[in-house]
Amino acid sequence: MVACAVLWLLPAVWVFVTSLKLTQNIVRLPPEWIPWPATLAHYVEVLFSSSRTARIGRAFLNSTIVSLGTVALVLLTAAMAAYPLARMRFPGRDLIFVLFVGSLMIPNAVVLVPQYILTERLGWLSTYQGLIVPEAAMTFAFGVFLLRQFFLTLPAELEDAARIDGAGPWRIFTRIVLPLSQPVLGALAIFAFRSAWNDFLWPLIAVNKPDMFPLPVALALLRSAYSSESYGPIMAGATLSALPLLFVFLVANRRIVEGVRVSGLKG
Amino acid sequence: MNRDRHAIDRRGFLLAAAGAAASLPVVARRASAQSKPTISYWNGLTGADGKVMDELIDQFTKDTGIHIEQQRIPWADLYAKLQVSVPAGQGPDLALIHTVEVSHFASDGVLEAIDDAASAGKGFRGDDYLPSTWQGGLYQGKRYAIPLDVPQHLLYLNVKVMKDAGQAGADGKPKVAASRDELLAMAKQITKGDIFGFSIGTVNPGKYTWGFQNLLWQNGANVYTPDFKRSALAEPAAIEVAEFWGAIQSQHKVAPPANANCRDAFIAGKLGMWIAGSWNFTGLREAKVDFTVAPVPRLFKQPVVWTMPHQFTFPKRKAADAAKRDAAWAYMRWMSDHVAEWTLKAGQVSALRKPHSDPRITSDPVLRTLLAQAPNWQGGQPTPKWVAAENLTRPVIENVYIGQKPAAAAMQDLARQINALPD
Amino acid sequence: MRRRALTPYLFLAPGLALFAAFRVYPLLDGLRLSFTNARLGRAEYAFVGFANYGRLLDDTRFHVSLVNTAFYAVASTLPILAIPLALAVALNRGASLRTFLRSAFFFPFTLSVVTVGLVWLWLLDPVVGPLNYYLKALGIPVRSWLADPATAMWAIILTSVWWVTGYYLVIYLAGLQDIPRELYEAAALDGAGGWRSFWGITLPLLRPVFLFVFVTHVIGSFQIFGQVFILTQGGPGDATRTVVQHLYETAFQNFFQFGSASAMAWVLFAVILVFSLLQFRLLRGHTQY
Repeated sequence: MVACAVLWLLPAVWVFVTSLKLTQNIVRLPPEWIPWPATLAHYVEVLFSSSRTARIGRAFLNSTIVSLGTVALVLLTAAMAAYPLARMRFPGRDLIFVLFVGSLMIPNAVVLVPQYILTERLGWLSTYQGLIVPEAAMTFAFGVFLLRQFFLTLPAELEDAARIDGAGPWRIFTRIVLPLSQPVLGALAIFAFRSAWNDFLWPLIAVNKPDMFPLPVALALLRSAYSSESYGPIMAGATLSALPLLFVFLVANRRIVEGVRVSGLKG
Repeated sequence: MNRDRHAIDRRGFLLAAAGAAASLPVVARRASAQSKPTISYWNGLTGADGKVMDELIDQFTKDTGIHIEQQRIPWADLYAKLQVSVPAGQGPDLALIHTVEVSHFASDGVLEAIDDAASAGKGFRGDDYLPSTWQGGLYQGKRYAIPLDVPQHLLYLNVKVMKDAGQAGADGKPKVAASRDELLAMAKQITKGDIFGFSIGTVNPGKYTWGFQNLLWQNGANVYTPDFKRSALAEPAAIEVAEFWGAIQSQHKVAPPANANCRDAFIAGKLGMWIAGSWNFTGLREAKVDFTVAPVPRLFKQPVVWTMPHQFTFPKRKAADAAKRDAAWAYMRWMSDHVAEWTLKAGQVSALRKPHSDPRITSDPVLRTLLAQAPNWQGGQPTPKWVAAENLTRPVIENVYIGQKPAAAAMQDLARQINALPD
Repeated sequence: MRRRALTPYLFLAPGLALFAAFRVYPLLDGLRLSFTNARLGRAEYAFVGFANYGRLLDDTRFHVSLVNTAFYAVASTLPILAIPLALAVALNRGASLRTFLRSAFFFPFTLSVVTVGLVWLWLLDPVVGPLNYYLKALGIPVRSWLADPATAMWAIILTSVWWVTGYYLVIYLAGLQDIPRELYEAAALDGAGGWRSFWGITLPLLRPVFLFVFVTHVIGSFQIFGQVFILTQGGPGDATRTVVQHLYETAFQNFFQFGSASAMAWVLFAVILVFSLLQFRLLRGHTQY
């Protein structure tokens, strides 16, 4: 089992190891697992260099802004939408919920072209909002689904008590429901973050200004006519791009599993 | 409540810090606005020549104070991005493209026409240039591009591999085949284990359309008929080339797999004879590979050499910016004045004629060979559908290369697909 | 009172606006586009009826891409469903270092598809890639995995399995942990061995999780793009060309034909809908316990 896991991690280790090798050693066979002599030159090139291919540093910033923005937008809209769907009765409630859940089946490819045309008309190509808003829209319905499931499991007494005390729906929502929902909100935040951080196809077509590329696009454009020469920087870029999620995952490992459980995937 | 107070203080501090950080670029930009403009420049020079371009740009900035924001994007992605970004008003100020792209970009309205008076005024005169390169910047009589250099094919020979296979002469230099049959025979001698005798193309030789075009032209064939109305790929001359294309892998077995990296293989001593672009040789020298070069062998009727000159172009902008345009012209002028350095360091023969007599260039055996190929140069046909046709060609010749489809059927199917291209 | 009646809608407003503008509107607009000759740079689109769909009937590369995509969806389903399940069951047995193991398998999922594609492109390189080197050392015959039409798609499936197993593993683990221990203990008392309790208890109780994983995977696999784009660009020949790859090239790379691309997208959507409904029909029956 442990052997399995180690084997599983080998490709990832390879990425890291290659990022530290000297360019001429990258192509060497037999494959060297210890980069000696080791060099940070690829990291330097990718982050700071005047070789303007990569600008990974800038791409990192872009990805961070877009991902955090997406998380904020998704959490806000999905929580606010899930609450009435779980707790209130009003005409159209079930229809709206069915629409949301049904939209989960829409493949992103189907909306790709019209979304591109819409984004262009709004003047949002190569902007942060042009990435954040469509990304949030992609995760929104899933977030509503997840949160509504969770809200349904909350005991109603707390909210009833607050209502008797004269609290309005907004106060109940923000002061009682949201704090209790931290695990699911956390899980959703991580899910949305990952989805936005790693998205490739949409930014590939929606961003034309090179200094607005997020990480996956910047990495993909590092591919060169001579693969072996660009592998050093590519692996360095890949390692850097994996760091935030790795960090988030290590820290919030249990939270993710909790969130998945608590969201009640049963049906 | 203490906690709140601390929280507010912390928040306040963070806000202030964020505000300071955010205002820095604004301050910096205001300071630099007094000096020269910065222009954006896209190209696809992702290989060793890209690093040379970086050096030259740095030197240009030192000489003139004009900053260039260069963005390298692999060619295939570059063209897609240009096509999409220009209509959205987000294209670059200057773009280096291949000659074959000029026709379709011009016809799609992506490029700005260059006024003859303007270019002459900046010192760009047709007489200074190799005619084929200067012509290449025209589409329907109007100029859209100024040429830079002439990337072309060359035959590289790995000295060690060929010596080990007994294909070197008494002087230790690899033998140069005089005919196709001799080349194939030599390749068969070299091919052993994981060493291959002969390949065409840098990476993914199976779908290396530029090599395929080179062979087509050697056999007097081409993608389109001379009037560009129909595809000529179903004609016998083209089919003969396709059959050879498939034969080197599946029949003679002297060529590496369809997605091999021939460049790495050549450097690692796993490839003996290699037809590939001239842009490779400076990288080979840096990697200290022991190699010699020879002109592209005559595998069919004529010893044609494939070329694809790089051209400077001005993508259309939503609003005209005279300062940026002047800066772009200045850069093109500077590059052309220093093109001998480009040739020496990046290995690309210049489109300008004057540097060809530079002793530094004529004393280099590789550059000499490249220049000597000039009478045999040929380029792509100037039809807007050239690139679309090339994109369709790639998977088809790959299928032929791996023996998945017979040559004749594949070519006929390809011709049909090309004829069905919308206008 | 009006205020109270408006409240739910006020809550829903931001989400609905986002949803309507960026999900519903593009979906319907795409349908409209598929009936026009929309093209990048063309200011006015003319209505062309079913011409785009008709052209799809003749577009052999589109047919190939549909077949390839269906092949990928079907062929990848078993490994992607079974492997994480097997790992989850093993991990659930109270294996030591469970957190480390779970993290190890999950790690690839934190990478973007581009990173995954690039690293496997390198690993699978026929001449200088480590995989072939070690296989040769073990005496296993090697070939150029990505250049051989027989193996290219399987190489892509391998890449996908490596990438997403961890995600489904976590989901299965969560589902497994909700199965009451008592059931297993009771079965053990009755003399049921490992396999029997797996078939009799684990699988049936995991059915809803299974359904979720199955549907999610199939919907996702029909849209596969990133791996193909990086690893093969649809090659060799058209052996790994998928629908989204074809769509992307039609719309944004070669031809910029937005109308045709929209028609393709709707055909894909229809196919996915049919598959999903079939899955639901098949597995829905026994979820209520």
